[in-house]
Amino acid sequence: MSGIDSNDIALRADDISFAYQDEAWILKDVSLALPRGKLTMLMGPSGSGKTTLLKILAGIIKPQRGRVVVLNHAIERRDQRRLAPLIGYIPQQLGLVRNVTAMENVLMGALGRCGHGKTLLGIFPRHEIEQAQAALDLMGIGHKSAETVFRMSGGERQRVAIARTLLQRPQVVLADEFVSDLDLALASEILGRMRRAAAIEQITFLISMHRVGLRDFGDHILTLNDGQVAPGSTDRFYAQSSAEARS
Amino acid sequence: MRINLLVPACLMILLAIVLAEFGFFDGARLLRGLRNLGILTSEMIPPDTGVLPVAGKALWETVQMSFAGTLLGFIASLPLSVLGTRHLFSPLVSGAARFAAAAIRTIPVLLWAIIFVILVGLGPLAGTLGIGAYTVGYLAKIYADLFEGTDPEVIEAVQSTGASKLHLVRFVFLPEGANAILTQLLFMLEYNVRASSILGFVGAGGIGFVMQIYLQTLEYRRLATVLLLILVVVLAMDGLSAWMRKRFLLTAAQ
Repeated sequence: MSGIDSNDIALRADDISFAYQDEAWILKDVSLALPRGKLTMLMGPSGSGKTTLLKILAGIIKPQRGRVVVLNHAIERRDQRRLAPLIGYIPQQLGLVRNVTAMENVLMGALGRCGHGKTLLGIFPRHEIEQAQAALDLMGIGHKSAETVFRMSGGERQRVAIARTLLQRPQVVLADEFVSDLDLALASEILGRMRRAAAIEQITFLISMHRVGLRDFGDHILTLNDGQVAPGSTDRFYAQSSAEARS
Repeated sequence: MRINLLVPACLMILLAIVLAEFGFFDGARLLRGLRNLGILTSEMIPPDTGVLPVAGKALWETVQMSFAGTLLGFIASLPLSVLGTRHLFSPLVSGAARFAAAAIRTIPVLLWAIIFVILVGLGPLAGTLGIGAYTVGYLAKIYADLFEGTDPEVIEAVQSTGASKLHLVRFVFLPEGANAILTQLLFMLEYNVRASSILGFVGAGGIGFVMQIYLQTLEYRRLATVLLLILVVVLAMDGLSAWMRKRFLLTAAQ
């Protein structure tokens, strides 16, 4: 356990429990820790609570019990503008605006740090546009920046969604099943690009997935079953970080 | 199967009762009506083209009124519909905005025209404002419902980038709803062109005033010219909106 300190933990969740109103618990006392700059896979069958967990970690929904700490900031209330530099979120269907170009979608990643003045007219600072183009280049679709999203293929859309999140420059990226609709070769390529981004930019990824074939892309694997986390390789990170939090 | 037939059967019976009450099954009366239709038609033919300059000028005013009124109403409906979107504002704010839209919509366009004739006097300004008012009530509701129907995943994803409410409107609601926004706007324009042709009846400008005179003086041949002119404008509007849909709407087939 030596060599782990709180700087190695990007995100920690303590005893998260969640249910929709009076229904059964979807998540029961879920605790986890994400090692910084690594790609962690969140595995589990459909309906095991992966999407709900990711939305809680992203601050989109609030759990009945438990808390989430991102880089020493506790997420207490829904405040997306404050969270934007910390957490990026890619939903299952990607959440792209279909009627506008890839470039415009990527630029939305910069909205959190841009004011209202010119952005409402669709005018972004030059350096943001350059970085958006660089993010699209990194994803291998730099030449498609002027293409409308709804004309793009599934794989191209995934890359636009990642580029948008890269431009947001969050410390932690939570991505929900977002390569599940792709064939294995394309999914592998996109995960490979994310892994490189994780290493270069020290971004922490948590990617939920039900396809076992892709699990080896993760540095670590968390398994969610029936609303609970099965013992796995990140346990020692959690144990260490919660010990530090107590001390 | 029996339940499937029950509802239409009940509706048909209800329809028959109402129609019978209004005299629809009175054969002699209907026959009289048919004969009168023949007389009226014969008195309308051939249309008197001598009134073309007068009617054309009045019709042009009607077209101007409907375009200006629709555009005014459209511009005013956008902020009201944003305020009425429950994703963005508290139930109090969105409820108040929706109530305002409903209240405006309750008053028919002809009554709005009368109100504005009282407020700003006779003429096309009253008609334009009347059309604008009705358009606000209609479009604000349609657009608020449209914005609320936006895919929640897109909203969540863009919100998580730190976007504000105004950003959401500009970058998510408007582009995601662009097709429906344009479709409803064109529908409203077509509706307003037809509706505004009678606003002249109450002194709110346009072709309605001319129509009313020809009706009251029983000059049906002149009236026929007016009706034909309106038909031309309505067909032109259909063509224009078809062109705009083709030009601006996104379709998968493109």
